[in-house]
Amino acid sequence: MTTRRTFLASLLAASATPAVGWAAVGDPTYLAAARLADDSYVLAGLREDGSTAFSVPLPARGHAACGHPKRAEAVGFARRPGTYALVIDCRDGAVLHRLTPPADRQFNGHGTFSPDGSLLYTVEQAVEDSAGHIGIWDAAAGYARIGAFPSHGVGPHDLRVMPDHQTLVIANGGIQTDRWDRAKLNTDTMRPSLVYTALDGKLLEAQELPEFHQNSIRHLALRGDGLVGFAMQWEGEPGMAPPLLALHRRGEEPVICEAPLGDELAMDGYAGSVAFSGDGSEIAITSPRGGRIHRFSDAGRFLGAVSRADVCGLAPHAGGYMASDGLGGVLLVGPEGARPLARAEAAWDNHLVPIAL
Amino acid sequence: MRYSLLCCALLSATPAVAGVEEALSDHILPGYAGFAEAAEVLAVTAEADCTPAALRDPWNAAFDAWTEIGDIRMGPSETGALSVAFWPDTRGFTPKTLSRLISSQEEAGTDPVTFAEVSIAARGLFALEQMLYDEDFAGYEADSYACTLVQTISADLANQAQALEAGWREGYAEVLRSAGQEGNAAYLSRDEALTALYTQVLSSLEFTADSRLGRPLGTFERPRPTRAEAWRSERALRNVRLYADAASGFARALADRELPLTEDALARLHDVADRVEDPALQDIEDPSARLRLEIVQQQVRALHDAIEQEVGVPLGLTPGFNSQDGD
Repeated sequence: MTTRRTFLASLLAASATPAVGWAAVGDPTYLAAARLADDSYVLAGLREDGSTAFSVPLPARGHAACGHPKRAEAVGFARRPGTYALVIDCRDGAVLHRLTPPADRQFNGHGTFSPDGSLLYTVEQAVEDSAGHIGIWDAAAGYARIGAFPSHGVGPHDLRVMPDHQTLVIANGGIQTDRWDRAKLNTDTMRPSLVYTALDGKLLEAQELPEFHQNSIRHLALRGDGLVGFAMQWEGEPGMAPPLLALHRRGEEPVICEAPLGDELAMDGYAGSVAFSGDGSEIAITSPRGGRIHRFSDAGRFLGAVSRADVCGLAPHAGGYMASDGLGGVLLVGPEGARPLARAEAAWDNHLVPIAL
Repeated sequence: MRYSLLCCALLSATPAVAGVEEALSDHILPGYAGFAEAAEVLAVTAEADCTPAALRDPWNAAFDAWTEIGDIRMGPSETGALSVAFWPDTRGFTPKTLSRLISSQEEAGTDPVTFAEVSIAARGLFALEQMLYDEDFAGYEADSYACTLVQTISADLANQAQALEAGWREGYAEVLRSAGQEGNAAYLSRDEALTALYTQVLSSLEFTADSRLGRPLGTFERPRPTRAEAWRSERALRNVRLYADAASGFARALADRELPLTEDALARLHDVADRVEDPALQDIEDPSARLRLEIVQQQVRALHDAIEQEVGVPLGLTPGFNSQDGD
């Protein structure tokens, strides 16, 4: 017998988005974009053993995607200028939603979901002066834009929700770009910052590295206890071999992670990705330009380098880290060195993004 | 789902590609052996006579030998090359560190073994150039701390050269040869090894055009002659020629066939280099001297493009996906 209550329940179920979880697409642990041999692009899900859980077409090369914590959908951001983002159904690549920033804004890199998957946060910059903003989208309501607040810096590139679920950490890259040709306008005076805000945008803390103000803070890694790693890209004179990674804990001074001079030089002033190891005891950065991975202890001590051409993607793995590269390689990087897991006839793009938060 | 388009190839055991073996046996391994020999001669000479007059010739011979393999940045040379040839010295570390060692007579400067721990800026060919050619350093007496320091740097250089030679011959050569075999995490296929070697050739020429020539050229309004490589020893132009010769030889070994376009471009490079008057490149504030050097720079790029056409295109080799891209 159909009661009013069961009728309403079935009606609700029918009208809601079918909640297809990640199990339906082969239980991937990571998301990665790739260019195939025919120059088309795909979004793939990878498992911890390096195997491919799913692969769906992307309309164009995107920026790093972020995965919904529960549903098998990913948000891919357009490359610069970031005029749109696409919510992709990971079963078939169907575009579920197309997100457009306000007319005077551009997406500027990454996005991240709130831990319960209800909200999507996006980093944005003003077209006019590159002032940073965080956009808020309601993932439960068709990704309607429901708000925005300043990132308290210029040219933000990455952000995360802190383990307390009450705080955002934002990497303000510091670079102001020309609205037409994307030329960098302020590399002499840039002031990148690591900023913490409340979920309503209230500024809680800001950190800068004045000695390395030309080191653009670009990418973030988080550990469960709130330790933040931030990876940088040098915009100053070439050959200066600055450190490219620092650690920070709320209320303390940042700890700079420095490698020996020869190793820093070999990184070519560029860190592409950053990740803590699976057990959180160490942290690493990649440099596709140097073809290297640098490992550091969680106190900032240099532990060693692993060489692999065009390596960029990096994520935590039970055995250490998983790394991906432009040659199609997927590697497991542990304390004893690297071991190949898989090789695809594809070029893995910049990031390897864990799906679970 | 497009599983088929992203099929993950199994790691298959395949024999190393021919060009890798030729590059190793015709270019890389003899290059490191030659450098080790020349560095040994320099160290032995320094032991007997530490003065600049005695050491400039063997130092130049060691530098000549170094240029054969000096731009290689892989395996033992990835960071190992930097402590042999620390250049460019953007922050002036070399004179600063040498001055500090000398003024405080640090013990590390008297022992080649502990010297391996000092800053790479105070080690290798450019530290020696400073000591042998720079007027602030080269006036030392035969029984001074600076004299011992020169002997130490020379002995350390010979140690480094020997370690690089052994590291390649006994270790990294096999990593390249076993490309694509199970467990090789550096090269997941034989093509990757070939690409890595080919990239070394192109990077060397890019570095010569952009840094060895580009740094002193600076801008038309502001040339920077003392940013030239090895200008104190007046080797700046010689290095441009020798590194280009080495890149061409490397490409020849890698391709294992005649490369007429490359040979033409290399010959033209030497022709235009003949017209440069100051081997130290210190005359480039003169617009016509500058123009002659710019032509050399263009010709280095032409050689780069010839190798790309003649070696890279037929082998289907392309530069990196992420390394060419900012994010």
